[in-house]
Amino acid sequence: MAEDSSPDDAVQPELQVDVWRGGAQGQYQRFTVPRSANQTVLDVVTWIQRHRDASLAYRFACRVGMCGSCAMTVNGRPKWTCRTHVRTVTRDRYLQIGPLRNLPVLRDLATDMAPFFDKWQAAQGRFSGSHSRRDPLAVIPPQSHERQAADAAIECINCAVCYAACDVVQWQPDYVGPAALNRAWAGCNDVREADRGRILRAVASDGGCYSCHSQQGCAQHCPVGLNPTRSIAALKRAALASLSSHG
Amino acid sequence: MQRSHTDILILGSGGAGLFAALHAHQTNPGASITLAVKGLLGKCGCTRMVQGGYNVALGAGDCVERHFMDTVEGGKWLPDQELAWRLVNGAIERLQELENELGCFFDRNPDGTLHQKAFAGQSFDRTVHKGDLTGIEIVNRLAERVWGLPVQRLEENRAVAFIPASGEHAIAGVLFIDMRSGGLHFVQAKTVLLATGGGPTMYRYHTPSGDKACDGMAMALRAGLRLRDMEMVQFHPTGLLAGPDTRMTGTVLEEGLRGAGGYLLGGDGERFMHRYDARGERATRDIVSRAMFEEIRRGNATPNGGVYIEMRHLGPQQVSAQFKGMVKRCADCGFDLAGGRVEVVPTAHYMMGGVEFERDCSTAVRGLFVAGEDAGGVHGANRLGGNGVANSTVFGGIAGEHMAEQVREAGYAQPDEALLSAAVAACLAPLQRSPGNLNPLRERLHTIMWDDVGIIRSKSGLQNALQELAALDAALLATGIGDVDPAFNLTWHDWLNLQNQILVSRCIATAALAREDSRGAHYRSDFPQTGDLRGSRFTSIRLNESDAFDTHTCPVAFTRVAPGETLLDQPAPGADGRPQREAHGVPS
Repeated sequence: MAEDSSPDDAVQPELQVDVWRGGAQGQYQRFTVPRSANQTVLDVVTWIQRHRDASLAYRFACRVGMCGSCAMTVNGRPKWTCRTHVRTVTRDRYLQIGPLRNLPVLRDLATDMAPFFDKWQAAQGRFSGSHSRRDPLAVIPPQSHERQAADAAIECINCAVCYAACDVVQWQPDYVGPAALNRAWAGCNDVREADRGRILRAVASDGGCYSCHSQQGCAQHCPVGLNPTRSIAALKRAALASLSSHG
Repeated sequence: MQRSHTDILILGSGGAGLFAALHAHQTNPGASITLAVKGLLGKCGCTRMVQGGYNVALGAGDCVERHFMDTVEGGKWLPDQELAWRLVNGAIERLQELENELGCFFDRNPDGTLHQKAFAGQSFDRTVHKGDLTGIEIVNRLAERVWGLPVQRLEENRAVAFIPASGEHAIAGVLFIDMRSGGLHFVQAKTVLLATGGGPTMYRYHTPSGDKACDGMAMALRAGLRLRDMEMVQFHPTGLLAGPDTRMTGTVLEEGLRGAGGYLLGGDGERFMHRYDARGERATRDIVSRAMFEEIRRGNATPNGGVYIEMRHLGPQQVSAQFKGMVKRCADCGFDLAGGRVEVVPTAHYMMGGVEFERDCSTAVRGLFVAGEDAGGVHGANRLGGNGVANSTVFGGIAGEHMAEQVREAGYAQPDEALLSAAVAACLAPLQRSPGNLNPLRERLHTIMWDDVGIIRSKSGLQNALQELAALDAALLATGIGDVDPAFNLTWHDWLNLQNQILVSRCIATAALAREDSRGAHYRSDFPQTGDLRGSRFTSIRLNESDAFDTHTCPVAFTRVAPGETLLDQPAPGADGRPQREAHGVPS
């Protein structure tokens, strides 16, 4: 998105910020927040809580884009707020900050992420190996085809930005969503995985990969540059091949 | 107040807490396990933020004795040698478990064998990593396993007090605030693991996750436990400095930037490190941090009060390729690391000190276990990069196994109801006082700790800090947040955070006053010498009934090797052609 290059920041060094208050039902509340040079959206929210309304609820942890706790809807788009400089998202010095879409709102800007993680489990997003802690590590060339495919999908910070960006999640509540399927695809490509069939059966069932309409919202918004749409497309082919080979 | 019970109660969901849950379940599948955490499971705390990696003696030519010697010498002979021995041995099995059973995949050499990188202070290339996002890989794989176990999750549940058993020196349970509802919850447990992590967030510049407030150490102090090595706070030289109003300030720019040849420049634009150490910017963390602090104190500082890091002489494209994550992070914040200058400042990173514990992770209170950064004695005066996540995962797993065995025999202890009521009253107190402004109190704490209890310390500075901290504690107690809705109320938790940070700050300053030498992370301008290593003593401190500290120093038991000796027959072979450090001396 184009940066807001309003030249009069120095003259009018303030942002007008509308912040969601309440739960599923609620309204936006207007705050005027001073602009500072190095200011993220999380800093704007923090300033409001520390200086204007001590009861504002939000969630954050690591401050540097590693934990995926602080995602919110910023001027209509899902964003990791700790790494989003206000300059890149403000429009005419205006910000609208709300909770992530597609998850239950606990209070103000904090959502209940449990459905997101429950669906991660439903898509069998965990490893099942055949070796133990007493065995040496597998020898796996990093340039091998499978490893490259697994690596391309694995560095997810589970921030749920893709889940909030996905229209299918909104239409179809049982759809497990892009992050869970992306994790499943990484697992399918792990040559150490002892039970690929478990993963493929899970993602081929209702609410799995066939629900994806390839609208690419996930890939456009992923803050760490993953492409769940591509993973899901590959997962569809693998699931189909697996089902047909098992009759 | 809600009440419930569980066989095993785990506080924290970093490497220690998650491994404890997993191993407890594997050891005793019938035991009920509850994992409580201040944020979301696996998504808060510091294990997730590990950039460097995991030290493990798996390479050909390496051995546990060499890892052990590096750990003990890096810790300036203060580590408990039996704990350090347990660490280096346990790391091998745990690393293999992470890969083979949990599905972590760490970086490989082109031939498919495990890659182990060089890391400061080690005589062998033994640090296993996944790029510079090792912690995310470890915690994601652990968390997704634990999500699938029959473990009760109490997320956004803040532990506020250990409640002892009535009439005996044992734990009965833990009092929580359910942060979402604001309600109180007492969980009775046969065994409890303290694994909330440390996190020196009381310093103006700090690296840990923003949820950290030394809660576990503060609870342990209030429960009368002894903590050791609390003066040992590790600073990282290059924290991002972006001004006072951003949470980005203090976050780490990785060590590799200096290692690759990055320059540190004073406010005058000139390099200064060569005036302090022949290795220049590549000197060790403690030396670089002190030199930066000294330059800043002399006024040779940048507009925001730090120094600059500059990489562009290495070629902006090369820098962008080699340090992609760091360059992107700086760019997101509006800084050009590859082609410009970025302001940096030393930043508080890790607490070597913590609760005194045994090799099975038990403590002096029956039923209470500790693991990870809350535990003290493994690292001594300095922690090697890569030993932090090894520590939390090794001891977390051990704790889980022992707790799971103990609950087969143990019953529930009855809580001391008077103490439970007192703990309830203490955490509700700020809601019953008229609202005040916490911001100046937080600023004051940051200033006291940075100026007088940080990188360079002295008797007069520490005494001044202790006086100021006592006044600050009184000022906090007089400040309320008002009769507000307690549900998801961050300001209430800011207040509780400050209270814990002030208590642990007093503990750090008291221990620093007691150590009249300089070693590892602790530097006294009035006692700059390390002193006699063979006579090494560690500080041991507890909070007494009058809210004062009882401070002792205890001789270090050199149970495996004494200063001047080594467990090694010969120095390391020339791994990667790097110059080798000197041999340790003659075995005795």
